[in-house]
Amino acid sequence: MTDSSRKKFIIGLAVMLVAGIVLIATAVHVQAMSTAVQAGEINWPLVEAALTNQPASGLAATIPPPKQEPCLSCHITGENKNLWTPLARWLVFGTFGLVFAFGVYRSASVWTQRKRWKPLTVRAAAWVDERYQISEPLSKILKKPVPKYALHWWYCLGGITAFLFVVQGLTGIMLAFYYKPTAAGAYASIQFIENEVRFGSAIRAIHSWAANGMIVICVAHMLRVFIMGAYKRPRELNWVSGVLLLILTLAFGFTGYLLPWDQRAFWATTVGTQIAGVIPAIGNLALVFLRVGWNVSEATLGRFYALHIIVIPLATVALMLVHFMMVRRLGVKKPL
Amino acid sequence: MTTPNPETEKDSIPFYPNHVKTELYVMIGIVVLAVIVGFLGLLFPVGLQAPSDPLNTPMHVKPEWYFLFLYQILKIIPPNILGIEGTAFGVVSIMAALVVVMLWPFFDKKEDSKKATWIRLAVTILGLILVIALTIWGEVS
Repeated sequence: MTDSSRKKFIIGLAVMLVAGIVLIATAVHVQAMSTAVQAGEINWPLVEAALTNQPASGLAATIPPPKQEPCLSCHITGENKNLWTPLARWLVFGTFGLVFAFGVYRSASVWTQRKRWKPLTVRAAAWVDERYQISEPLSKILKKPVPKYALHWWYCLGGITAFLFVVQGLTGIMLAFYYKPTAAGAYASIQFIENEVRFGSAIRAIHSWAANGMIVICVAHMLRVFIMGAYKRPRELNWVSGVLLLILTLAFGFTGYLLPWDQRAFWATTVGTQIAGVIPAIGNLALVFLRVGWNVSEATLGRFYALHIIVIPLATVALMLVHFMMVRRLGVKKPL
Repeated sequence: MTTPNPETEKDSIPFYPNHVKTELYVMIGIVVLAVIVGFLGLLFPVGLQAPSDPLNTPMHVKPEWYFLFLYQILKIIPPNILGIEGTAFGVVSIMAALVVVMLWPFFDKKEDSKKATWIRLAVTILGLILVIALTIWGEVS
């Protein structure tokens, strides 16, 4: 390293040090001021009087309201934002602090070691690879070329279905935080999600519409594969796993439809399970398995909930892995 | 068609980053759509019907729209076919059709041709028209 660049490093360090001290001092000052204001330690009439050169008496109207009691559940019900103000402040100042500390460390280490700085991402990748030895097989998978014809939009349908499944998983987890799979609680909890939870109706709308979209795109993907003959040898088993995935998607729809526990849900499930009951030989078994008894009841709700959030998702993820691995191994079929 | 991937360099692109990037754009598009749907959901929530009441059957019980065509088939099927109860016959034939669809690659083993593609396209369109017609029929009936 030359002398001039070393000098620049020292100057840079000094500037960052001064900036950091100023930043920390500002943060401490703001925190102290806001604490004082909230605790009512500042005599506002006196401040006002000093600023406007007026006598202190008769200015009591500018006293701020007393500090509100912090409400920890209010971020859900949206009554006030007291919790977010300190959180946001810590986030902002904490980020600045981390960036500052990183800058100091980076400059100091370059200065002392006299080597080029290695980016953190490269270091992290090397650290992980040393322990898992994953980069060689991974790059083999990642470098396998994809034919150019696989960039037409209709080859995206399968990927869209998979991503919609991820969307469903994420929004479903969010809904599961508030949903109660009981006869007494289900309807009320959906009402709570729709009316009280912040963005609850948005999450429910995404979950509901993406479910319908997933079925449409899934069927479109299947028809695309059928029309182009991509199910033929050696891809037969991929077609079979795809049909199983479609059945699982429909099972998602069927079990999820009961969960709001309103009239439509209850009677659609009653009729649906009734149809399962007319299968010869195993009909009654299927009906009792689905309803957990002879009628749709709270037990049915619990069973459908468990199927909807645990059993079917696990089966879907497993089949999706098989499906994707076969696609990567066999490649996309060349169109005629 | 049995040789999976002997593509030449100029006909193919690397999976990473090129193809992954395309998929990423698709994902971003879906996320944008989802945010729009969520925003509309704030204005027009999905909503709920009256709470469930086992003693009060509503006039028109309908399944979700994607089961509607199957439901309509079961509704219009005659009550007795070949001495078997109509609904049972319908359910069994629907399940049999599903099994045939699932195992279709093992039935259709011929080498693929342009003509076969056109036939499959025609079959798909006819089937789609049938399903859509049954769905609409089920929706209005």
